[in-house]
Amino acid sequence: MEQKISVQEQQTTKKNWFDKNYKLLMILPILLTILALVYLGFFYSSHNHEIILKDVSLSGGTMITLTADISSINFEEFKAELEEKTLLRGFDVSLRKLTDIGTGKMLSISIESQSGSEELKADIESILGFALTKENSSLEFSESSLGKNFFNQLMWALLIAFILMSMVIFIMFRTFIPSMAVIFSAFSDIIVPLAIVDLFGIKLSAAGIAAFLMLVGYSVDTDILLTTRALDPKKTREGNVNQRIFGAFKTGILMTSTAILAVLPAFFIVTGLPDSFRQIFLILALGLFADIIYTWMANTGIIKWYCEKKGIQ
Amino acid sequence: MTSYKIWILAAVLVFAFISIAPWSAFKSGVMIQSVEKNSTEFEKGLRAGMIINEINSNKIANLNDFSAYVSKLTFNETESMKISIKTGSGDFTFIKNSPLSITVESIPSTKLKTGLDLSGGARALIKPANISLDDSQISDLVAITTERFNVYGLKDISIRPVKDLGGENYLLIEIAGATPSDMEDLISNQGKFEGKIGNITVFNGGKNDIPHVERSGQQAGITGCYANQGGGQYCTFTFGITLSEEAATRQADVTGNLSISAENPEYLSEKLDLYLDDSLMDSLSISKDLKGRVTTQISIQGSGSGNDKTAAIKDAEVNMKKLQTILITGSLPYKLEIVKLDTISPVLGKEFLNNLLKLGLIVFGLISLILFIRYRKIKITLAVILTMFSEMFITLGIAALIKWNLDAPSIAGIIAGMGTGVNDQIVIIDESESKKSSTLKQKIKNAFFIIIGAFFTIFAAMLPLFWAGAGLLRGFALTTLICVTTGIVITRPAFAEILRKIKE
Repeated sequence: MEQKISVQEQQTTKKNWFDKNYKLLMILPILLTILALVYLGFFYSSHNHEIILKDVSLSGGTMITLTADISSINFEEFKAELEEKTLLRGFDVSLRKLTDIGTGKMLSISIESQSGSEELKADIESILGFALTKENSSLEFSESSLGKNFFNQLMWALLIAFILMSMVIFIMFRTFIPSMAVIFSAFSDIIVPLAIVDLFGIKLSAAGIAAFLMLVGYSVDTDILLTTRALDPKKTREGNVNQRIFGAFKTGILMTSTAILAVLPAFFIVTGLPDSFRQIFLILALGLFADIIYTWMANTGIIKWYCEKKGIQ
Repeated sequence: MTSYKIWILAAVLVFAFISIAPWSAFKSGVMIQSVEKNSTEFEKGLRAGMIINEINSNKIANLNDFSAYVSKLTFNETESMKISIKTGSGDFTFIKNSPLSITVESIPSTKLKTGLDLSGGARALIKPANISLDDSQISDLVAITTERFNVYGLKDISIRPVKDLGGENYLLIEIAGATPSDMEDLISNQGKFEGKIGNITVFNGGKNDIPHVERSGQQAGITGCYANQGGGQYCTFTFGITLSEEAATRQADVTGNLSISAENPEYLSEKLDLYLDDSLMDSLSISKDLKGRVTTQISIQGSGSGNDKTAAIKDAEVNMKKLQTILITGSLPYKLEIVKLDTISPVLGKEFLNNLLKLGLIVFGLISLILFIRYRKIKITLAVILTMFSEMFITLGIAALIKWNLDAPSIAGIIAGMGTGVNDQIVIIDESESKKSSTLKQKIKNAFFIIIGAFFTIFAAMLPLFWAGAGLLRGFALTTLICVTTGIVITRPAFAEILRKIKE
């Protein structure tokens, strides 16, 4: 009984504080979106009119991943030698190694270059002194025009997905401001992870862009939950707006936490999954973190404001 | 009365179980992977997919049994041997004097098909150079490319047309386990084979002009090996081809007009030049006796080289096989280029599968823990986890049914779909636990408004992926959609029902 009273008290304190400060809470997410947009603009102008860094599946070129017989390779020496070799042919090369977090053991080395697959393979083989076979390596080659074509299509797909999602939201809520609040939140859930991915210099693959599409659908469920509960159009719920928002918050935060828990082990516990897989999960994780901010600070603020204006209790 | 929703879930789970057929893991025998066309085995009715249980009354339980028994069989050309094969689809008996023309593999433990990321292999996206094809042209191309791969003997291959958002048609070729170099050679050579006397083409590759190509026996094989001047060895091969009457008559008409060579009076003035993709491959002198004569038998020569004799023989054999393939299937109607090529090592695939299982266990564990901490009810936690597992299982069942190749994006899609499933169940639990006075039915109805909204947004978001990027990410969209649709139609209503029963 005592415990119940203290929860009630807590809620009352929360409510008062929330009533006073909800507009202030909206500043952080809005600033974050502006910052992300400014950074993306800066990135676009400083990276030859490209909005992201593309891997070979989108820009064209070859990626070879060495997965076996690598324990004897000195990564730094191998890198220097390969860079020298490919430069002679007029190509850049970039190398990355994947290490097991637990043991520190090198799991794989990925080599990316704009050059053709045969040339890159020959360069690597001549340094390593053994042949690259299907047993010890994987290869990914894309022609540059195809990569460009893929990228453009995935961007169109992203735009179409966003428009379709917006239509679903408008059909569901049939009111302009709450619908726009959800759409703003979904937009930021994409823009912020995109800026972070660019900031960390991560090269996106086709699968990575598919993850952004997934975010379009995935990130709005908490917004739908919040808007439905707060507006309560059929008057089937008890409690005032703040209580309903707080109830939605408790549900939503659990939803997002379980989703984050589902994607994070792919980075910290189980390493050695394919890059495409890890990238999908990285982007989903970034989007989910952004979603916490946008649903529970921005969207909540807009909905609360809207309810106040419309006299929804 | 309302528990029919749980029965539907149970029925669908049974259906998924049948579709995945995990009991195959306990079957004994080996599965035929391929049967060479025109072989005795093929004529007698043996086909890929059949399960061999016995050969000549020797029990074959696995690949080891098969290899051990087959290696004991000694064939020679003069003595024939009776082979009797017992399969799940009947018994087959035939006489052979050469090794078996079948390849076998272990019986797959389930009907789930694993894509390249899991099983390893090569995948290529092919486009005709400098030309856009319409749907019927691309399907012709699929047919002829498939034939070329089959004649060459590459097994376990999938060739299908794919279209992207821009309307461009491609050919997607996936080969499990094969080396990409075979694939590249078979695609990058258009295989335009021409026999020319002077400037006149007398025959082309393909069945019209060359109805028969010798592939084994005395008419085809390695003729000799020699030392290369610069080191290493080279070996020559020869095989016979039969020209059609029409092509032979064409040749006779042309040779009839030739004169006797001034330098070498045993031969005619022009040679029969064999061109492959416009480059001269061989030049055969034509005996003066053949002037104006209709002759249908021609012998084709070629060579292969290597560091030592074994390597040179192997290379010559591969070259012979490629040339025979091209002569049998004729030229591809277009020059093709590989615009995307991925190869994944089978070792990496196996590792991926192990990691995936590990990841699955950890994720299930973590989610159970967080749900238990939040709700403190073991029954609710179990219900969520069981529903999550059901969604995964049903999605896999549907994937097995439609023979979908599960690649990395497809698996990521299942995980993402399961993630939305958990979210939806949390919404149902929280709505049902809310303190409002309305009935449980109304509360669940409220939850379903949110869930259906979320479903449609995911649906809208995934739809464009079916076409973008030549459909290479279709697996991601497909499995996500199967998983969320299963959720909304089958598992969510059942979960709501289970929850009602828990609360009663």
